[in-house]
Amino acid sequence: MTSYLVRRVAGALVILMIISAITFYLFYAVPRDPARAFCGKICQPETLTLIRHNLGMDEPLFVQYWHWLVGIFAGRQFVQFGDCPAPCLGYSFATQEPVFSAIVDRFPVTLSLTLGASVVILAFGILTGMIAAWKVGQPLDKIASSSSVIGASLQIYFVGPLLAFYLVDTLQLIPRPSYVPITENPLGWFTHLMLPWVVLSIIFTANYTRMTRSQMVEQLAEDYVRTARAKGMSSRSVFFRFAWRGAMIPILTIFGVDLATLLGGAIITEQTFSLHGIGELAVRAVQNTDLPMLLGVTIVGAAAIVLLNIAVDMLYAFIDPRVRLS
Amino acid sequence: MRSHSRRIASMTAVLAAGALALAGCAKGGGGGAPQSAGGASQKPLENKAVSAISVGTAADSTGPAPEVAGAKPGGTAYMIDRDDFSHLDPGRVYLNYNSSVSSLFTRQLTNYKEDDAGNIKLVGDLATDTGTTTDGGKTWKFTLKDGLKWQDGTPITSADIKYSFERLFADFITEGPDYAETWLVPDAKKPFRDQYKGPYDGKELDTIETPDDKTVVFHLNAEHPDFNFTVAMTGYGAVPKAQDTKQKYDKQPFSSGPYKIVSHITDKSLDLERNENWDPKTDPIRHAYPDKFHMEFGLQSQQTTERFMADTGNDKQAFTFHNPVAPERTQEVLNDSELMKRSLQGLTPFTTFYNINTKRITDVNVRKAIITAWPSKQIQQLQGGEISIGKIATTVMSPTVLGYEAFDLYNKLAKPEGDPEAAKALLAKSGDPNPTVVYAYNQTPVQEKVTVAIKEALGKAGFKVVGKPLNAGTYYDAIGPVDNKYDIYWGGWAADWPTGSTAIQPQYDGRLIADNAPNYTHLNLPEINDAIDKANAIADATEAGKAWAAIDRQIMDQAAIVPEFYQTYFGLYGSGLGGVKFDPITGEQSALGIYVK
Repeated sequence: MTSYLVRRVAGALVILMIISAITFYLFYAVPRDPARAFCGKICQPETLTLIRHNLGMDEPLFVQYWHWLVGIFAGRQFVQFGDCPAPCLGYSFATQEPVFSAIVDRFPVTLSLTLGASVVILAFGILTGMIAAWKVGQPLDKIASSSSVIGASLQIYFVGPLLAFYLVDTLQLIPRPSYVPITENPLGWFTHLMLPWVVLSIIFTANYTRMTRSQMVEQLAEDYVRTARAKGMSSRSVFFRFAWRGAMIPILTIFGVDLATLLGGAIITEQTFSLHGIGELAVRAVQNTDLPMLLGVTIVGAAAIVLLNIAVDMLYAFIDPRVRLS
Repeated sequence: MRSHSRRIASMTAVLAAGALALAGCAKGGGGGAPQSAGGASQKPLENKAVSAISVGTAADSTGPAPEVAGAKPGGTAYMIDRDDFSHLDPGRVYLNYNSSVSSLFTRQLTNYKEDDAGNIKLVGDLATDTGTTTDGGKTWKFTLKDGLKWQDGTPITSADIKYSFERLFADFITEGPDYAETWLVPDAKKPFRDQYKGPYDGKELDTIETPDDKTVVFHLNAEHPDFNFTVAMTGYGAVPKAQDTKQKYDKQPFSSGPYKIVSHITDKSLDLERNENWDPKTDPIRHAYPDKFHMEFGLQSQQTTERFMADTGNDKQAFTFHNPVAPERTQEVLNDSELMKRSLQGLTPFTTFYNINTKRITDVNVRKAIITAWPSKQIQQLQGGEISIGKIATTVMSPTVLGYEAFDLYNKLAKPEGDPEAAKALLAKSGDPNPTVVYAYNQTPVQEKVTVAIKEALGKAGFKVVGKPLNAGTYYDAIGPVDNKYDIYWGGWAADWPTGSTAIQPQYDGRLIADNAPNYTHLNLPEINDAIDKANAIADATEAGKAWAAIDRQIMDQAAIVPEFYQTYFGLYGSGLGGVKFDPITGEQSALGIYVK
């Protein structure tokens, strides 16, 4: 188990390094001089040269990448920005703030959005999926299945402003979505994020409903279920004690990927509700061709995917006794 | 690139500026009902013309600022906008958006004061007046007012002002203006940082003297009679040596104004509260009615427009510095008389235009044909009409610049949709009835449509237009090189202070052509270069204004640009605020007179 974990983490680090190197080199393929963003309206050539030096951009590309890597462990000093303590992912070209602290500042927003939405998604998605499977072919199944199709067809940028218009502006039932730290005001955290959770979950829940239903139906047709029933176990016991375990493996796999994607930034939801999370940071980084921030956000997104994949693989063993880690 | 104006800027006479349209706020439904959803059919709201810009007296420079009718102190004013302020260290401020917020906590030697009629006066801000010069603008003396204090209660002295200018030479301060730095070193033609490297190694700048705590004397390397306009830029705001945290100062500047920063979360919020050590008696332009300002970022125009329209909760007490009414909501706002009561509009200092690369299109008749055939009206319509994007321009200088004269050499106001027949006649003179021109543009959905309109209109005149879409993030990198391969490309400009020198010289002085320099047309004509020198040498501001207007006409006669728009602003604010005004100097909403009802 330990050696498995070490192997996976080492592999993850190699993957992250490859991703960072590719992102770094690709950025420099863009015919743009980031130094211009730091130069006044009437930009003198000597000022531009000074800025390139301040940013370390007058070094060969591999040296710049090496400095970036070293900065993660040892920190760096930039003339243009000042100290950048470890772990230093550089300074944003657009906002002139340390990339690492920008990500750390925004991570609670994305984490809150992701975790809250995940609870809603899993609770409703799995519940409705299981009900549909339990009552397969019956009206409840049809209602759950058609609702999920409708949910999957909707778009966050349509549902979000629509619900905000009615629930926030017109009826004033809930406060305008924003991020209130849970440590400061747990109730405020809950009420201010309620709408984004619901909107995000409308889209995602549909997938989980459909997936749970199909997986459960498939599991209920398996030999071990027939055997259990033949031995006299009640349908309820078979359903809730055995069949769900088998159904959960693919659901967990997909959930791991979805969770990681959301942690890397629920871009549309954050934009729709003006939540200052990782997704918003990513959009701005792309818009501004902001390499340090782009690199930082990419690494965070990639790390989330790689690490959650490891976590999901390990969870298989707990859910399904047939799975052994080696 | 630098102004060598010889105007005696300490004059006190009011200087008529022709049709100067430093538009004041035109509240109260001046727009009438639009005829259809199309931008061009909107009945434009009048941009009230302001008749004068002047240099104020010592009396004009004394505080407190005249009371705003109905104003009362207290409450929190909210500001909602798209972006965080990219810089707050005065030395690194160039964008007007950054200047707008800086005016709440950063003061300069001089500043602009607007009266109820919309007239603009340059007045002393930290200084008792707008400065004095006895040698045509080579030596400038400013005296600081009594009672000036930093936010910690320590006095603001002439040493602070000297230090504020010295630190602009530091290697990390690269984003702000560099006029004063270039003028304060012995040789203006050599890089200023080669001559002085800033105060952090203990060396002082000899060209700034402080004979006592109240007096600061600048010795410039040439005559700059409008130096007192230069130091009104936020980039020359005061920074105390004792509180200078170098690079970190950009996030947490120390206040000399009516508010101080209590919290700044990048890209999220900025909170200001009253600076108890600011004395209104020293300040002729700022009020400080609200107890606090809470500013929130990350909201697109559509979102702020919808929030102002909904007018609920804290949004009632909200304004925006920059976000205009979203184009898709413009008609709805114009049709709502209640919303129009809390709308602001006016001409900003910005002009937009299409540079014609005179190194590639050398025949003036071809350039004239381009302007003549240009579909100005269609482009205006595609971007929301006059109220959303701007008035169709016919000159280089904006109506907000002293000396502006209205003229229309190519009949664009009579035929804004383009005149293909007249353009054909011009092309016939050139000997090439079907020239090919390469038009480079930002590849955005709107610009794609604009490009189609341009191709169509110029095509009718006989041109073959080759569109070259450019990435918005690398647009200026692509058009910046002097040897770029494009014939026509969009640009924008605003004068750094409202005189002709910074409106015209950086862009059309042929001696300043360089890669990435503002002279994107690459126009280099001895007669225009000479005229620029002569205009800079005119001491009388009114006469200088006329000279700049004449140069404007010369440039247009050379058809170096297709003027596009004199940019307009149209914005909303919440019903719970009073005293919200449009600032014609920044082209944004001003926070200086705001009060919570």
